[in-house]
Amino acid sequence: MEIEGGNTHRISKRTILFGIIPFIVIGAMIVLLLNFSGTLFPSSIKPLPEVSIEKVEFLGNDMIVAFVRNTGPSEVTVAQADVNDRIYPAAIEPGRTLTRLADAKVIIPFIWNAGEPYKIGITTEDGTRFEKSVDSAAAAPRPTVGQASTFALIGTYVGIIPVMMGLVWYPFIRRLSPNKYNFFLSLTAGLLVFLGIDALLESNEIAVDSLAPAFNAQILIIIVAIVTLTTLLYVSQRLIQRASKRTKTDIAVEYKKGSSGGSEPDFGTRDVKSSSNSAQQKLLIKPIAISMMISIGIGLHNFGEGLAIGAAVLLGEVALSSFLILGFTLHNTTEGLAIVAPMAKSRKIPVTRLIIMGLIAGGPTIIGAWIGGFLYSPIATIIFLSIGAGAIFQVVYSIGSWMYHTNGSRGLLNNHWIIMGFAAGMLIMYLTGLLV
Amino acid sequence: MNYSQIAVLFGIAISIVVFAISTAAYSKSSLSDQNSSKVNTFGGHTPGYPTLQTTGDVLDPTSLVINPKDAVIDPMKYLRDFNYGRLSTTSNGTLRDFTMIASDKDTKEVSPGVFYNVWEFNGTIPGPTLRATEGDTIRITLINNGSKFHSIHFHGIHPSEMDGVFEGIAPGGKFTYQFTAEPFGVFPYHCHMQPLEEHITHGLYGALIIDPKTPRASADEMVMFMNGYDTDFDTENNFYTVNGIPYYYMHHPIQIDKNRLIRIYLLNMLEFDPLNNFHLHANMFNFYKTGTKLIPDEYTDIVTMNQGERGILEFSYKYPGKYMFHAHKTEFAEKGWTGLFLVKEGTNQTINESLNVTTIKNINNYSTTDFNKTTGLMQKGDVY
Repeated sequence: MEIEGGNTHRISKRTILFGIIPFIVIGAMIVLLLNFSGTLFPSSIKPLPEVSIEKVEFLGNDMIVAFVRNTGPSEVTVAQADVNDRIYPAAIEPGRTLTRLADAKVIIPFIWNAGEPYKIGITTEDGTRFEKSVDSAAAAPRPTVGQASTFALIGTYVGIIPVMMGLVWYPFIRRLSPNKYNFFLSLTAGLLVFLGIDALLESNEIAVDSLAPAFNAQILIIIVAIVTLTTLLYVSQRLIQRASKRTKTDIAVEYKKGSSGGSEPDFGTRDVKSSSNSAQQKLLIKPIAISMMISIGIGLHNFGEGLAIGAAVLLGEVALSSFLILGFTLHNTTEGLAIVAPMAKSRKIPVTRLIIMGLIAGGPTIIGAWIGGFLYSPIATIIFLSIGAGAIFQVVYSIGSWMYHTNGSRGLLNNHWIIMGFAAGMLIMYLTGLLV
Repeated sequence: MNYSQIAVLFGIAISIVVFAISTAAYSKSSLSDQNSSKVNTFGGHTPGYPTLQTTGDVLDPTSLVINPKDAVIDPMKYLRDFNYGRLSTTSNGTLRDFTMIASDKDTKEVSPGVFYNVWEFNGTIPGPTLRATEGDTIRITLINNGSKFHSIHFHGIHPSEMDGVFEGIAPGGKFTYQFTAEPFGVFPYHCHMQPLEEHITHGLYGALIIDPKTPRASADEMVMFMNGYDTDFDTENNFYTVNGIPYYYMHHPIQIDKNRLIRIYLLNMLEFDPLNNFHLHANMFNFYKTGTKLIPDEYTDIVTMNQGERGILEFSYKYPGKYMFHAHKTEFAEKGWTGLFLVKEGTNQTINESLNVTTIKNINNYSTTDFNKTTGLMQKGDVY
C-alpha cells in the first residue's frame, strides 16, 4: 500500500470495462452451458458417485456413527449401511440425499467390541459401496471435564514438560565454545528439518487416508506450507527491521562480523552477494527473535501433534500407553533445546521470558489434543500441520542465515561442526521417533 | 515482549480458525435438523439393540418396502405363481405355449434404495416359473427386446438346437424353442450368451418345473429362487436374496398353515460364490435332489447347493409361530438372504401328523441298499 501510495491515480472507466469484459464472457458461457448442456454435450454416462467416510465414532456400547461426505461430482443418495460388510438397520441425518460436498451422519445401532477392528460401509443408490476401516474400536471421547483433563495431562507430558526440560539446557549452551555452539545450533536446525518433514508426511498420510481426492489435500499441504513460509519470512523481516531501529547499538555489536562477509567464493556465495547491497545488509537477525519464531513454529507443530494425538484417541488408532507418552516426551525434549540454542550467546534472558517461550511452544499441544479429540476434522489437522511445517522451515532458514552471518567468512558448509550437528539433529529425532 | 504479544495473538487467532473449521460441518447438520419435523424410528429388530428415533432418513432393508413400481419383482406374487402356459391338444398330446421377452435396459430397485441395471425375462428377476407335466410338449417363443444377443438355455433333456447355446437371438429377433418335457423334476433356465457370467448375474434366469404324470400329493407349493446382485461390479455379491429382493420375507412373512404339507421348489443361481444354502428353523424337511425322484434323498434341516443345483423340500410345521429360514452361510443371511414363515392354526389340515412321523422314522434308516424297502414304504404311505 505504501509503495502504491506514490503513484495513486483514479482508475478510468475504460480500465474498469476492460477488466470486466472477460467476466461477462465467462458469465455468458456459464449460462449457456448450464441451460443447454444436454444438447451441447449429450452424454448417457452418469458420473460415478464418490462418498468419503471421514470419521467413525463408537458410542456407548451399542452405537456406531459414521460421518460421510459426498465428495463426488454430483448429488448422491445413500441407500444402505453396513458393519463389516453385513447390512444393518441405520439412520442418516439430515437426510439420505447429499448434494455435492454435503455431509451427513449415519447412525448404526450395533453392539461393538472394544479393541476389535471394524469396517464401516455405505452403499449408494447405484449399488456402489464405500468403506472405512477402523483399526481398533474405542469409545469416542466425550467432552467431559474428566476427558478434557486427561487430554490436558497428555498435552502437558507431550508438549510443555519436554520443552521446559529442553530449556534447562540454556546455561549449558551459554558456556560452550563457538564451534560447539555452532554444533548445537545446526543440531537445532537438524531437529527442525526433521519435524518439518515429519509434519508434511503426517499431513500427507491424513490427506490420503481420510480425505477424498476432491479436496486436493496434498496440493493444499504444499500451498499452505509455502504461504506460511513466505509470510513468516516477510513478517520476521519487518519485525527485525523494527527491532533494529530500536536497539541499533545492541545489534551492531553482535553482527560486526556478519556485515563483512561475502569476500570468499564458497557454497554460500549466492546469499552473500544478494546480501551485499546496502538494503540487505540490514538483514541482521536478532537471536531472541529467532528463538521466538522457533517457539511459534514449534507451537504450531505441537498444535498439529496435539490434534493428531487427540484424533488418534478418537479414531481408536492408538491405545494411549505410558510408553507412547514417554516416547513423545523424549522426542519433544529436543524442541526446548531448539528454542534456547540461538539466544544462548546473546545477553542474559530473564527466566520469565524462557517460560513464556516454553508455553508458546508446548501449550498448543493441549489445545490441539482437545480439538483433535472432541472435534476432529482431517482438513483442519492437515492445515495446521502444514502451517507448522512452513513455520519450521522459516525458522531453519533464520538459523541458517544467522549462523552464516555470525560465522564470518567460513560459510556454512565447510564447517564440519555445523554439518555434524545438522546430521546429529536429524538422527536424534529419528531415533527418539522410534519410541513413538 | 513485542514478540510474545504477537505470538499470543497468533495463537488465539489460530485457535479461533480451527474451531471455525472443525465446527462448520457439525453446525451444518444440526441446522438442517431444525428444519425437519418428521421423526422416524429405527433399529430394535434384534434383542439387545436399541430402538432409536431420527429426524433423518431410515436406511433399513429389513423393514423398508420398495415401491412396487420400482421393484424388480413382487416376491410374494412370485412365490406361488406358476405359469402353465397356453394349453392346446395335438396328436402328440398336450402342448404348452409360453412367450418370454428378454430385456436388458431397465434399471430397477433390487434392494431398498439400490438401483441396478437388471436384465430380465418377462420383466422380473427371477423370470416366470414355467410349469408342465412330464411328456407335454413345451413351446417357448423368446422375443429379444434387449440391446444384446440373448437366448434361453433350459436344463433337462432336449435336442441340440433347442439348447439355447449356439443360436443367439439378435436384438429385436425371435426364436421358438420346442421340446418334450422330460424328465420330471426342477430345472433352472438361463440365458447362455457370452459373457455368461454377465448375462446370469444381471438376472436372466428362472425356474422350470416338470411334474410327474402322477401328481405329487396336494401341498402348499412355492418356489424359492436363490440369487445375488453384484451392484458394484467387483465380482462379489453385494446382496443375497431368495426370490429377488433381500429381506423381503422378513417384513412380509410367508403365511402357512400348521400341519399343512409345504413343498418348496428350491433353486440356486447365485453367481460368484461357490455355494449357497437353505436352512429351516425349528423343523426338518425331506429333500428330493433335483426333484427327479419321488423318494427323498435326505431328511435334514439344511441343504447346500452349487450354482445351478436345485431340489424339492417337503415339510410341515407342528407348532404355530414365526420361524426363520435363511442361508446358513451367515454372510449371505446378513446381506439379505433371510426370511420368515408365519405358521398359523390352519383350517385345512390334510396331512395326518402321525403319518408324517412314521415317514420321518423310516427315512432315518434309509440307505441305498434299502431302496426297495423304502420305495415300498413310500407307496404304502401314499401321501406324497
